[in-house]
Amino acid sequence: MLRGFLNARSPLRILERGLHGGLGRGNLGLVLAGHGVGKTPFLVGVALDGLLRGDQVLHVALDSSVAHTRAHYDTLFDDLAQATRLEDEAVVRGEALRLLSIRAWPRARFGVEKLREALRVAEETGARPGLLIVEGFEVAAASGAELDGLAALAQELPAELWLSAALPGEQAALPEDIAPGRFAVILALEPGHSAVALRALKDHDSPGAGKLRVSLDPRTLLLKRS
Amino acid sequence: MNGELANIRNIGISAHVDSGKTTLTERVLFYTNRIHRINEVKGKDGAGATMDHMELERERGITITSAATHCEWNDHRINLIDTPGHVDFTIEVERSLRVLDGAVLILCGVAGVQSQSMTVDRQMRRYKVPRLAFVNKLDRSGANPQRAAAGLREKLEHNAVLMQLPIGLESAFEGVIDLISMKALRFGGANGEQVVEDEIPAEQRAAAEAAREEMLDAVSMFSDALTESILEERVTEELIHEAVRNGVLSLELTPVFMGSAYGNKGVQPLLNAVTRYLPSPEDVENTGIDLSNDEAPVLLSSDTNKPLVALAFKLEDGRYGQLTYVRVYQGTLARGMNIVNSRTGKRHKVGRLGRMHAEKMEDIERSTGGDIVALFGIECAFGDTFTDGSVEISMSAVHVPDPVISLSVKPAQQKSQENIAKALGRFVREDPTFRAGVDPESGETVISGMGELHLDVYVERMRREYGAEVVTGAPQVAYRETISQRTDFNYTHRKQTGGAGQFGRVAGYLEPLPAGEDFEFVNEVRGGSIPTEFIPSLEKGFRAMLAKGRLIGFPVLGLRVVVNDGQSHSVDSSDMAFQAAARGAFRECYARAKPIILEPLMKLGVEAPVTHQGAVLKTIMQRRGSVIGTTEDEGFCQIEAEAPLAAMFGYATDLRSATAGAADFTMEFARYAPAPRDIAAELEEKFQDRRRLAKDED
Repeated sequence: MLRGFLNARSPLRILERGLHGGLGRGNLGLVLAGHGVGKTPFLVGVALDGLLRGDQVLHVALDSSVAHTRAHYDTLFDDLAQATRLEDEAVVRGEALRLLSIRAWPRARFGVEKLREALRVAEETGARPGLLIVEGFEVAAASGAELDGLAALAQELPAELWLSAALPGEQAALPEDIAPGRFAVILALEPGHSAVALRALKDHDSPGAGKLRVSLDPRTLLLKRS
Repeated sequence: MNGELANIRNIGISAHVDSGKTTLTERVLFYTNRIHRINEVKGKDGAGATMDHMELERERGITITSAATHCEWNDHRINLIDTPGHVDFTIEVERSLRVLDGAVLILCGVAGVQSQSMTVDRQMRRYKVPRLAFVNKLDRSGANPQRAAAGLREKLEHNAVLMQLPIGLESAFEGVIDLISMKALRFGGANGEQVVEDEIPAEQRAAAEAAREEMLDAVSMFSDALTESILEERVTEELIHEAVRNGVLSLELTPVFMGSAYGNKGVQPLLNAVTRYLPSPEDVENTGIDLSNDEAPVLLSSDTNKPLVALAFKLEDGRYGQLTYVRVYQGTLARGMNIVNSRTGKRHKVGRLGRMHAEKMEDIERSTGGDIVALFGIECAFGDTFTDGSVEISMSAVHVPDPVISLSVKPAQQKSQENIAKALGRFVREDPTFRAGVDPESGETVISGMGELHLDVYVERMRREYGAEVVTGAPQVAYRETISQRTDFNYTHRKQTGGAGQFGRVAGYLEPLPAGEDFEFVNEVRGGSIPTEFIPSLEKGFRAMLAKGRLIGFPVLGLRVVVNDGQSHSVDSSDMAFQAAARGAFRECYARAKPIILEPLMKLGVEAPVTHQGAVLKTIMQRRGSVIGTTEDEGFCQIEAEAPLAAMFGYATDLRSATAGAADFTMEFARYAPAPRDIAAELEEKFQDRRRLAKDED
């Protein structure tokens, strides 16, 4: 039931249809939004969507605690379970969140090599994530080599790797200091009165990316019912 | 000493295991002249610290029971409770916090906020205990007080403010800079007893100025007078102290102090802070329950002339007979007076009254509101309230968690039988998380508790203190059963065997409750199809069925019973008939409600050097654990995970060998979760085998 609900309400389904099959393994994706608009809930939604489909997810939290990050997952799961009146909630939660691993680092001590090492350790225990969320990474300040390193890692696994960056204002345009070339997909979240608008600024090499625009529930960042 | 209430501090010292609580307490006792020689926890002479008075504690180097002591500092009396660091002894921490007015949270200067620090902090929040933080072990390699303070802010969400800066760190740690007096404090003499005040080292002057500004910025939030004085540049030490105290009392500020208890540095300034900033009994609002007025809350006052209200928060059998630690909340407790136990209504005469100092005691004549003292030879249970008999007031109970692990015990020799019974009787009275009973099926004595170490310690105490050698069985996990879907029932109980018959019909449904809730009975019968007087009989009947589930014989939880229809008979319906109808309804529909087995999941926290991370993760995976997350910083990682208790026996040994002893772990009950299908099938099969066997024997 939960999976059916997600199929109907997850923005990823629209993205998969609207974009060329979604982000796709081996690629870097970027979510842009102003402070407090909901980058983290959106990325947690992306991750939970993967978890409920049986993907292993590695969520890297920079300058945020494991407990804080995990609380985002629990809150979103609770909302979903309540909305779908999920009966075997404990079993589904256990099965889904078992596939999630959260890694927290101080931002200053994080680098591609750290992530590579974490993936090596995960592999020792039989885990091989198909989706990576790196939250709190300063894309604008990152060097080209760092972004190339992350892209290489996404290809080696292969995995989808999502990053997020803050927009200076409310205008959903790519900041000048971020080069779009390294990202396969770039999405932007814009706050509105009763909904958050999700726009695609880049969709692989397709020129029609700008047409995609969907409204999300500002609390859950799932598709609005209408 | 000034005996006024305002000059009493009832405080606890809480922290993660091995953070140096007992070591710090030893220094406190030494500097306040309660002891004249410092003994180390794991000292070479084997004497052990003063507060670790049980032989076993001295040997293992951990605090098991919380000892109480008192000392005097700056014209204040400090009642000090040393609490255990190991999670298995969490009830000791809980009951200490219930009676304390303030606490010192110790953090390891190297590891910072650790898993048990979080547990202790949660407990302190539950009892609204204002606290100070002390970052210890600054003379250890890798110490970093700023990181520990950042951990307080980020992981525990404290408004933590540094009140000091270190002078040097690790082997070069010399003392602290006091950001209020802006003086350097060093600790001279053989045991750091001389506090030497000096100018701040020139190279740290700028850093100290910046840290003071940050501190003033944070604490000025709690005092308009301080804010004004900052603007007018006439800040005084008194104004800062007052603001810090306001912040601490409102639970919105955690001032951070630092030092090395083992290195005899930084303890005296911490004592000053305890007397300055932590609350006196009159700063704290305590309420009791008025048993004569429908359990309405009553505000207690430390007025010595008001009727006595005192709470027994710890029992001990010792060389003086039963020793009962009580916190006096209101009125006066005096030798020779009669007191009444609110629970039993029993009257007792106070023969001896004392103040404890570890296992030694001093007789006293009277004690007043706010104080912690010990009664001798008065039989009572943990959590009982005593009054002078003129009021019927009870203090609310301390939260007592249910045990999650059991072990069968039998005497190695027949002669031990009697001593085992004596020991168990005492342990059960002292520790509400420890239970003992006889399994009706096997006839074996079974002890239950909060973890492997918890039970280990009691088995060891039976041997040492009672000379009773016991043989223990394999540990048993406290499984539970629950239902997974709503199911209707409609059951008629009818019996006619001559004389008055029995009749009762009940209809309704069972449905699962949200996680964490035990049982709910809802009466939706309309129109009197079941007479009101039989509704409690139905509830009693359903409740009786919860004690033993039909899947594996463990208690059932997490269900709501809704009764909405039924039928009665004017002659044959009775309390007994409707109880039987409820039992029958439950039996009939339980299997259709798709029952499942729940197993206790433990929250596991492992700390290890990053180099051992893979090995640690493997030990968790091998035990059906699931890793929630890993935090990595400066060569160390903290792994948070959940694992089923059933798979965690002997984990300490496994972890030690996987990491060459470099890792440390804590474990506590988190919640019940559905057992995997294969495990559930195995448990059901075993239960059926036992039932068949029992039938064959019959």
